[in-house]
Amino acid sequence: MTAGAYHAQDEAAMSIQFEQVTKRYRGVPVVNGVTLEIRKGEFFVLLGPSGSGKSTLLRGVAGLTGIDHGRIALHGRDVTFLSPRERGVGFVFQHYALFRNMTVADNIEFALRIRNVPAVRRRERRRELLRLVALEGMDERLPSQLSGGQQQRVAVARALAHEPEVLLLDEPFGALDAKIRGELRRTVREVQRRLGTTTLLVTHDQEEAFSLADRIGVMHMGRLLETGQPQQLYRQPATRFVATFLGAANLLLGEATAPGVRLGRAVVYQARPARNDAVAGSEVVTVVRPEDIEVTRQRHALASSCMGEGVVAEAAFGGGGERLLVQVHAAANLQPATRQEPGLHPGLPSGACLLEVTRTAAESMALPLAAGDAVAVGLRRLHVLPTPVSSFLLRASTAQAVAALRQSPLVAQLAGSTQANLAEVIAAGQPAGAMFHGAGVVVVDNTDRTPADVAALLLHGARRLLCVPPAAALPRRVIIHCPDEALQAEAMGLVASLAGHINAEVSFVSVVPRGAPGAERAQALRRLLDTRAVVRASHGFDLRTEVLEGEAGEQLRSLASTPEPVLLAMSIGGDRREVETALARDVGWLFAPGTRSSLLLSYSGPRPAALAGVL
Amino acid sequence: MATAGPVLQEHGRSGQWRGRLLRGLLIGTAVLFLGLMLLVPLATVFAGALARGIGFYREALIDPDALAAMRLTLVTTALVVPLNTLFGIAAAWAIARFSFRGKNVLTTLIDMPFAISPVIAGLGYVLLFGAGGWFGAWLEERDVPVIFALPGIVLATLFVTFPYVARELIPLMQMLGTEEEEAAISLGAGGWTIFFRVTLPKIQWGVIYGVILCNARAMGEFGAVAVVSGHIRGLTTTVPLQVEILYNEYNAVAAFALASVLSLLAVVTLVLKTTIEWRTGLRGRH
Repeated sequence: MTAGAYHAQDEAAMSIQFEQVTKRYRGVPVVNGVTLEIRKGEFFVLLGPSGSGKSTLLRGVAGLTGIDHGRIALHGRDVTFLSPRERGVGFVFQHYALFRNMTVADNIEFALRIRNVPAVRRRERRRELLRLVALEGMDERLPSQLSGGQQQRVAVARALAHEPEVLLLDEPFGALDAKIRGELRRTVREVQRRLGTTTLLVTHDQEEAFSLADRIGVMHMGRLLETGQPQQLYRQPATRFVATFLGAANLLLGEATAPGVRLGRAVVYQARPARNDAVAGSEVVTVVRPEDIEVTRQRHALASSCMGEGVVAEAAFGGGGERLLVQVHAAANLQPATRQEPGLHPGLPSGACLLEVTRTAAESMALPLAAGDAVAVGLRRLHVLPTPVSSFLLRASTAQAVAALRQSPLVAQLAGSTQANLAEVIAAGQPAGAMFHGAGVVVVDNTDRTPADVAALLLHGARRLLCVPPAAALPRRVIIHCPDEALQAEAMGLVASLAGHINAEVSFVSVVPRGAPGAERAQALRRLLDTRAVVRASHGFDLRTEVLEGEAGEQLRSLASTPEPVLLAMSIGGDRREVETALARDVGWLFAPGTRSSLLLSYSGPRPAALAGVL
Repeated sequence: MATAGPVLQEHGRSGQWRGRLLRGLLIGTAVLFLGLMLLVPLATVFAGALARGIGFYREALIDPDALAAMRLTLVTTALVVPLNTLFGIAAAWAIARFSFRGKNVLTTLIDMPFAISPVIAGLGYVLLFGAGGWFGAWLEERDVPVIFALPGIVLATLFVTFPYVARELIPLMQMLGTEEEEAAISLGAGGWTIFFRVTLPKIQWGVIYGVILCNARAMGEFGAVAVVSGHIRGLTTTVPLQVEILYNEYNAVAAFALASVLSLLAVVTLVLKTTIEWRTGLRGRH
């Protein structure tokens, strides 16, 4: 079989395909570069908080909302510009949207009547559908004479009447109470199994997603962050957001070491290497699920590796299990990776760390615990997030300047959305030694800096550096420029981790010299497309690509001279002189008072330890 | 405790009594006022109409001028109400369903006839289409009479009854939302099918309600029509104008007889309106 034929077959097996779908409202992307493929017969759930763009995406499939960019295909047929009636989908709305002046029978037969199906066939189909949703004999009722659950059953039957290949459901159980919701969920799942219709359901309820989905896609701020089977997403999330949105999670800062991960004083050995290319010594974010923590009275009774000792701060009975809050003593040196709101836990000693623990009924029966009991805490399993954004370190010469950085729209947005720790350093002049070794993202103000300052920071271990003009508004575009292919991977990881937290569109730019031969341009384009494929595979993240002609500094500058501020992301490498030259040449214009664009640098070069002697 | 209870109760009882008195007083004043200002004049109309017996009453109604006035009123209404219904549905659709530049301006324009005195509206048409008006000469050349003829009367009535259907439908359509229409779209329905099978049935009572109000106003309009009609007896006098002419000629009984027809119409409108309010639960919105 040739590659082409294989590809065609692959296309046909796909029921819904989204390619770089973007929808903007007043210039702000509400659906941002979503690329996704849903297989034939699959039950796919789009999960996300309200306002994450999931409903807009769903309405885009039905053609109820147009899209500004990208492509949507149903069964290999491009429907982006087709009218809703030509798409042949079934849609179920949150508030049922039954035709109030029509009986149940007329509602269900509506799609068939439009298609001039003879009355006998219509009646047959209606009976069949009413049996399917367990509403036999309700034909002559009006919607107002039915309960909410019954109305939604009618809506499901109505959406299936014309035998659509794709069924779309927009928060279909949102307006129902818990018991009805469960029943209807089972009905929908059963109907889907029996008919084999590709189904796309939108919800904000993770329990609903777990119980229905073959695969889940998590959306946040218009982006599709991750897709996967429920269990895989729960056990091995790739982003902070997914880790905390799908169930409860303790996020702890750790340090990558050769044998595993160091959490405070304890080193946890990992049989399987973390999906993280973090070099030994760098800071990582770990996810510890509440059920993966073991508590015992005595340290030696732990069956898993010990993290430290503490006391039970709170014990709550939760039906099938028990939820504990354990306060681990400062001696264990556990660092939470999320900011602890000062007022949230009054009386928490500094350095102590609160862990959420769940125990099964059997476990709590074997070892009853109450608030105040001393316990030892062990860790059965942990997961390391591949994100390089473990924390932020704000650095400026005065306390006011640090405060200005903290309040800048970009930093406030990133900190609020990631919930990552913000540390502050007040220091003037050049850094000394490897002071940033292993830190997360260092943040400085670029309006009072020179390329030489920035080069010094990069070489002293601030390998991920964000330069922000404190007064600038939130960037609406992210432009990635990676002249050196070898350094690309790290920059992409950094952008992928941060871009999910700002409402901005991302494009990847390559600049070829003016008048370059066609072959060179073609090669640049091919390289961009390859990069796009790699980023999609490894970060689940889609980019737009652009080839520009001319001199890099000039081209980047003109790209950034839009009314909306821009975040420019660059990878950089080499020694001090090389770094300085590259910065001055390509982004020198960014270091001037009054600039509104931000700069995100990812540095790969000699590590500070090796440099220490040289400096 | 033993003493506090009764004291409180007594206090409560006197408070209750005072509240009841106040309520009675307010209702009484309102009823008295309405009776004096509305019902008594209406009753006098019927009393005056029948003052010289039923025979005279009938004669006053079948007088050729009176019949011509009634015909003109009916023709005007028959033209105005459908036009304004179409316009009202279209405007309400546009305002409730779409967001576009100048939407607020359009909403304000629809309300303008409420704010402008009908006489001024009539005058405006005279200045536009009258003999010395902007289009007057052009119209005269082509022998198209507007002012002092049926077209002028229809135009003036159109202006005055412009907002009734639209004003009724805009809030109704906004409240009902667009989900049903979207459902119809997703099921494959086209624009006209959606309008006639989904939207129109959904807003039908609102339309009927607006039509009734529009109809009542179209039949009863005086000011704007008075300016453009020219009071040509038997030709350009509508019922309200004919009533005024008769009254000015001291033919009070005939005037009252015609007036009673208008009043009856008002009563019928009121009954229809109330029935619809009761049927659809629109009560309390006006």
